[in-house]
Amino acid sequence: MKTVLKPHQVVAKIFKWFYIVFFLVFMLAPLLWLILTSFKTNIEFDTANALALPKVWQFRNYANALSLSNLPRMFLNSLIVAALTTVLNVIVSAMASFVIAREKFRGSNLILNILLAGVLVPIIALMVPYLKINMKLGIMDTLWALIITYSAINIPTSIFLIHGFMQALPKALEEAAIIDGCSFPQRFTRIILPLSTPGIVTAATLVFIYCWNEFTYAMILTISESCRTIQLGIRYFQTQFVVDNTGMMAAIVITMLPTIIVYIFLHNKIISGMTAGAVKG
Amino acid sequence: MKTKKQSNVIWILIFLAPAIALFSLFFIYPIGMVVGTSLTDWRNSVGMNFIGLENYIKFFQNANFRTALGNNIIWALSLGIFQIGMATAMACILARRPKGWTVYRTVYFLPSVISGAALSMMWKAIYNAQHGVLNAFLNTIGLSDLAHNWLGEMETALPAVIISQIFYIGYFMVIILASRVGIDDNYYEAAMIDGANVWQQERFITLPLLKPILITTVTLALAYGLRHFEATYLMTTGGPNHATETMGTFLYTKLKASKWAEANAIGTIIIITGGLAISGIRSLLSRNMDVE
Repeated sequence: MKTVLKPHQVVAKIFKWFYIVFFLVFMLAPLLWLILTSFKTNIEFDTANALALPKVWQFRNYANALSLSNLPRMFLNSLIVAALTTVLNVIVSAMASFVIAREKFRGSNLILNILLAGVLVPIIALMVPYLKINMKLGIMDTLWALIITYSAINIPTSIFLIHGFMQALPKALEEAAIIDGCSFPQRFTRIILPLSTPGIVTAATLVFIYCWNEFTYAMILTISESCRTIQLGIRYFQTQFVVDNTGMMAAIVITMLPTIIVYIFLHNKIISGMTAGAVKG
Repeated sequence: MKTKKQSNVIWILIFLAPAIALFSLFFIYPIGMVVGTSLTDWRNSVGMNFIGLENYIKFFQNANFRTALGNNIIWALSLGIFQIGMATAMACILARRPKGWTVYRTVYFLPSVISGAALSMMWKAIYNAQHGVLNAFLNTIGLSDLAHNWLGEMETALPAVIISQIFYIGYFMVIILASRVGIDDNYYEAAMIDGANVWQQERFITLPLLKPILITTVTLALAYGLRHFEATYLMTTGGPNHATETMGTFLYTKLKASKWAEANAIGTIIIITGGLAISGIRSLLSRNMDVE
């Protein structure tokens, strides 16, 4: 149905599209500039207009970033930390979610509420205890410090997602399993766990992204270059190569790429997973 | 049957133990430690003596700490009012499904999955006085008078850091949008028949119905503002001359100086202000809601 728009409707329509486009530009233009600059030479960066396109598209900055710095090592460290944290956190969270969701026992609701309240804790306020705990555990300045700390920090969100999923599974599943002689752990590993795969994948994706992106505690809990993660790599770059600005741009792009790629494939899952807690109030 | 029950109890404990152990060690114990030792003079490796509220008194007498606390409040209000406001407007626009709306939603959410560290370093480069694209842009369009050393000047540093974050509306927008699309279309059709224009529909139908989710998102935004650390630390480390200091950067400085008790006193203030914001807003706004 085509109708003639009144003047105020035209204004509203212009405003609406201006608003949509403004935010698209705000999200994408800085990233675009970053990528363009990562292809420039440092001489170009110092002398030419920052808005200009690179004169020659060259991958030197990327090659330099990867060969002259410890970036590959840091990239690998981040991968190790993210992978092991994801496995550890998901196993621990799924086990707890299973008994809370499927075994009604006294206090199960209280335990769930306490665990979920963890999302409200400002982790930033706990710098001293996290430092001290990791020193006491003897894992300070190792990748294990990050793995254990991140696994713990993500327990509330993972339990929220996995518990919500497990609770929605029909009760009859386990009753049948018990009659068939399934033991307690078998009910978890053979029935509930496989059926909860979608919830577990969402939780695992979010934990992985969290670990990859985490900066503050990676900075506090590691000292040696050999166990620093990629997020610290960008900054370290700036001090080691004081003049290599475009190299740093390349390093930033390298840092961003993995999560952007994951996001391209899993954006619906990631968006609903990250906002699930707040949507349910 | 009884033995079966008992073995179930053992299994329940075994399954809960790892999560509860990690949670206790990294949530409950740390909060106790932060609050408890904030009342001592614990620093370096020296033992600790109880000194009451001395650390707190010292901080509230410290002008730089008051700036930090004030900046956190500015952060909280900027996110809670402007970011949520812009996110709500966008949710209302996208809920009417303009062409390509799912793509916009995905793009707006993108910064939420990119590392804050990488984004902060990117913005630091954008704001750079000599090589930054912002000044280059201003010079190109003939507004070179407006060019600044954005992160280096007292007046522009805090707004610059806030602006680099505040337009990332995607996270809250998606949350609000989920509520907005849940509102029955019949309300809008009925209003349209009664002659209400789009603005009136959003004002008198959408906003009242979105109230619960707006309370949630404003609360979250305030809490994020009070615990803000990363972008400021990376872009300005609290400078120039403490202009962008937040409680988080202040805490980190004390941590680096091995002043554990002082750092924990700031941690306690962050926990308490966050708790007050969360419970305060909830009770204030929900009381308001009961009246309606």
